[in-house]
Amino acid sequence: MRHFSFKGMLKQLARPSLLLIVVATVTLAATSLIQYYFSKKGIRDEAVMRAESQLETTRVRIMDVVNQTEAAVRNSVWIACWCLDVPDSLQVVARRVVEDNPVVMGSTVALVPGYYSEHPLFSPYVCREDGKLVTKSLATDEYNYPSQEWFTKPIELGEGYWSEPYIDEGGGNVLMTTYSVPLKDYRGKTAAVLTADMSLEWLSHLVNDMQVYQNAYGVIVSRQGKVMIGPDNDNENDNDKVQEYTTRVERTGWTMTIVIPEKEIFGGIRRISLLVNLLQLLGIGMIILILRIVTRNQLKYQKVKEKEAAIESELHVANAIQTGMLPHTFPTYPDRDDVQLYASLTPAKDVGGDLFDFHIRDEKLFFCIGDVSGKGVPASLFMSVTRSIFRTMSARESMPDRIVATMNETIADMNETNMFVTLFVGVLDLPTGRLRYSNAGHDAPLLVGAGVGTLPCDSNIPVGVMTGWKYTLQETQIFTGTTIFLYTDGLTEAEDANHAQFRMERVNDVANKALEKGLQEPKQLIGLMTDAVHQFVGDAEQSDDLTMMAVQYIKEQRDVRLHKTIVLPNDTKEVPRLAAFVDEVCEAVGFSPSVTMQLNLALEEAVVNVMNYAYPPGTRGDVTVEAASNDVRLKFTIIDNGSPFDPTLKPDADITLTAEERPIGGLGILMVRQIMDSINYERVDGCNVLTLRKKLAVQDQTTKQSNK
Amino acid sequence: MKTTIQEQDGNMVAILEGRLDTAAAPETEKAMNPLYDCEGQDIIIDCTKLEYVSSSGLRIFLGILKNAKPKGCHVYIKNISDDIRAVFAMTGFINLFEFK
Repeated sequence: MRHFSFKGMLKQLARPSLLLIVVATVTLAATSLIQYYFSKKGIRDEAVMRAESQLETTRVRIMDVVNQTEAAVRNSVWIACWCLDVPDSLQVVARRVVEDNPVVMGSTVALVPGYYSEHPLFSPYVCREDGKLVTKSLATDEYNYPSQEWFTKPIELGEGYWSEPYIDEGGGNVLMTTYSVPLKDYRGKTAAVLTADMSLEWLSHLVNDMQVYQNAYGVIVSRQGKVMIGPDNDNENDNDKVQEYTTRVERTGWTMTIVIPEKEIFGGIRRISLLVNLLQLLGIGMIILILRIVTRNQLKYQKVKEKEAAIESELHVANAIQTGMLPHTFPTYPDRDDVQLYASLTPAKDVGGDLFDFHIRDEKLFFCIGDVSGKGVPASLFMSVTRSIFRTMSARESMPDRIVATMNETIADMNETNMFVTLFVGVLDLPTGRLRYSNAGHDAPLLVGAGVGTLPCDSNIPVGVMTGWKYTLQETQIFTGTTIFLYTDGLTEAEDANHAQFRMERVNDVANKALEKGLQEPKQLIGLMTDAVHQFVGDAEQSDDLTMMAVQYIKEQRDVRLHKTIVLPNDTKEVPRLAAFVDEVCEAVGFSPSVTMQLNLALEEAVVNVMNYAYPPGTRGDVTVEAASNDVRLKFTIIDNGSPFDPTLKPDADITLTAEERPIGGLGILMVRQIMDSINYERVDGCNVLTLRKKLAVQDQTTKQSNK
Repeated sequence: MKTTIQEQDGNMVAILEGRLDTAAAPETEKAMNPLYDCEGQDIIIDCTKLEYVSSSGLRIFLGILKNAKPKGCHVYIKNISDDIRAVFAMTGFINLFEFK
């Protein structure tokens, strides 16, 4: 059972955990994807912008040089045409082109072969070498300028033309490109080509300056696809993806490209993404870890809960045992016409330490109510012990102060837990309504009779605090109809949801209302009080045991049918006179001879007891025996003014012993108890008053003892 | 209260007549003294005419029984009335004595 619930709980816990992890992962992944996408786009745009602006700048700078070179050539066209007739002057034209234009590194005027009859080829060339102008002739067989592109193309096209880059061996001896323009003579015939060489070295510097990214590089490709300028080494890794941005340089037919490896552009964001992903993984890992810890704690908590539940159910059993020990059938004394009693104990959630008890012995109602300090099992055990001791003590002691004192000695002596119990012990003498009580620190009971009042109580310390305390005895007269209402502080301190307490004022109010409505019978009064508390407390949880007990004294004076009195001196020789008196009374109320004999026996034993023990040997005294009867019962009252002597406290003889073991004596009180319905002792105004009762309805009950 | 002690068929017999109450007990106890001298004989307490017995009387019976038993003497209660048997019963004496 426990195992099953454990597994089920695991499942219950695992499901939301898994869901949580999945949701977290998906959200994080989506976020990082979106972020990556937009960042990449931004970075790409940025790269495009940077590359294009760089390309544009470079293009403009190239165009500047191109324009200068073209201008240098164009500006010399007219003079070159003018000089065609004077071959030797053409060298000067070329020199001027170079001299006047720093961007031009060499220039020639190359004549169409055969233009001059005396020179099949003619091409004076001027170029810079080590900062000086050097004049050469390109009209060599090795060079064969008429086959060079810079010569053929412009003539073919009839306009200015930028040559493919080439290394002009025998000319400039460097990588160069040449701008050449065809020259026409005055007849309109193409006579020569005027050129300006442009070194590509500066171009290569320019392009290398275009490093928008560290490993980016520029490439210029000629119109025929020849790479004019490119990386020195071939791409180290052709597999690397690259981004290319291209622009054309007009007139020259060049294509200029910036090549940027993708990892250059996106390297940063990739690193960041990687970092972010790592952090996310770490986060998810931590979530899993935390969930595991939480789950484990939850399991632990669950186990503790289960344990608690087990303890709680045991506490409930304890509670059931505890309440089972208290009197719980009401009315407890249905056939009594002198007392009504009702009690209720509403335990708080935990087993509590409230107790109450009552029992009637010898026409005295012994009752107590108490509240053990603390709660839970210890209080409960303490309560049980207290109640047992009360039972034991009140079985052989009739004075409440002595009962309380003896209880205190017993409990304080063995009390190592420093618990204590506030206790009210009352002894109500039912024939007379005399209430003797001793209050050990408990709430003073209410008397609900002619009015509502508090029973005055001396302040004694609670039971169990310390040994040796002398508990005071108090006494009062309870009149017929008066209810003694006892309670524990669970009543006055009952709390509503706002922690306001019920308080004594409300208890008094309820009692007054009960009295007004004539509802002061124990059950009614406790019912009203319970309702009032429930209404006050509302839904708040009951914090303490709530115990109430009500005792109503309802002795009614019945019509006396018979009243006879005899006074005897304390001499056992007077027993026959007593017998005659008893016979007379019994006859008057119609008892059978057998019952008469038994009553004789009881009276003789009781009176002889008084004669023997109430007065010191040798002293004289009287014993008065009163007989009275109403419809219900016959009552004998034995009164003497000797020293206090309570025969009801004498232990009964043990009738199971053998002849050898049996002491001689101790039989008298045993027989009185066997024969009479009740026996009651009171000390009233310096007199011992012993009351014996026998129901009239019971006739010929000769075998009462045989049932025992 | 009248107490007669006699010997009958080798047994000691005490015949009690009247009310054995506290007032009569001292005298009856004295009268029954010879029973303490029993030597091997059985003791019969004849209660045919006994009307009443209180605890003082029962004490006398118990005294006799306690004296006789160690000597091997039986103590019999004879012809007891129902009312008095009830008294024996309520005190547990019914278990101590033998009845005839």
